[in-house]
Amino acid sequence: MSGLQGYVDQRVLLILQDGRAIVGVMAGYDQKSNVVLSDSKERVYSPDEGVEEIPLGLYLVKGDQIVLIGELDEALDQSVDLATIRAEPLPPIRY
Amino acid sequence: MADRGRGTFRGMRGGPASASRGRGPQPTMDKPKREAILDLSKYVQERIRVKFTGGREVTGVLKGFDQLLNLVLDEVEENIQTESGEHTRKLGLVVLRGPTITLLSPVDGWEEIANPFLAQDGA
Amino acid sequence: MLPLSLLNAAQNKPMLVELKNGETFNGHLVNCDNFMNITLREVYQTNAEGDRFWKLKECYIRGSTIKYLRVPDPLLDAVKEEQKMARELGRSARGSHVSGSGNRGGRGAPQRGGRGGMVRGGPTRGGRGRGRGA
Repeated sequence: MSGLQGYVDQRVLLILQDGRAIVGVMAGYDQKSNVVLSDSKERVYSPDEGVEEIPLGLYLVKGDQIVLIGELDEALDQSVDLATIRAEPLPPIRY
Repeated sequence: MADRGRGTFRGMRGGPASASRGRGPQPTMDKPKREAILDLSKYVQERIRVKFTGGREVTGVLKGFDQLLNLVLDEVEENIQTESGEHTRKLGLVVLRGPTITLLSPVDGWEEIANPFLAQDGA
Repeated sequence: MLPLSLLNAAQNKPMLVELKNGETFNGHLVNCDNFMNITLREVYQTNAEGDRFWKLKECYIRGSTIKYLRVPDPLLDAVKEEQKMARELGRSARGSHVSGSGNRGGRGAPQRGGRGGMVRGGPTRGGRGRGRGA
């Protein structure tokens, strides 16, 4: 429940139920895992183009939409040239 | 604007307005809002649009409401979208269950428009 | 920084709200509650496909249908600053210093401050309610 405390002020990757991948700095959270991300960017994956990063700024994501939160290894992440990455985007969750 | 209907329907059974007033100066920030954030009395006798979970959408004239956002609408029309286009069907006098309502807005001041973001947000 | 603190601080600020069904609403926040139910004014609604647009004078959105809210960047620092001030105020008012683990969310503190201490677990519920009197 408060397992998110360790992520505060860290750069994290969020995966949402609609398949979106968002990276940002976790500025806060609450008991329902609603999350505040600052300096956030959506990463849009595509099979025939490099990864596009769309700046989103300050974001408040509802906890019930979040599939995954993971700490980003910033050094490793920066060593990756997103423009060279080709990947299928995640499909949204289906019920 | 439009505060007709005051007095007539006003908050049906001691609505939120009367319940929790005596709190002294309410700091504007960070207060658990126990009272309704939407004053439905201002819409009474006015036509409103309501969307439900699942996507149904109706318009109707607000006749009454309670704290749970259950509504009584009259002259209700459901707006139905199909591949072949949009049409409406008349439902008349209807009770809408509050917990299934996702969106509520007055029909007055509502209009479909061209993309308003093309001008600015282009980049 | 609690999500709801940020949302509360966003009153009268422009924001973008996306619902779970993909519809988006751009407008100024009028009011919000702890369920994240919100009211907006001067709203532009966009359908999920992004090809139709509506203007609404105002609207109410049920919090449980919201996917995310996008708010102006400067709000983050504004809220942080405010929390800091509230915390310091609470500290000096209490005349004692915050001792880390023993701090149970400061009663008498302007409530924001108390929680800002962010202990974890704790009697958040009771503590919160009681801290309000001041």
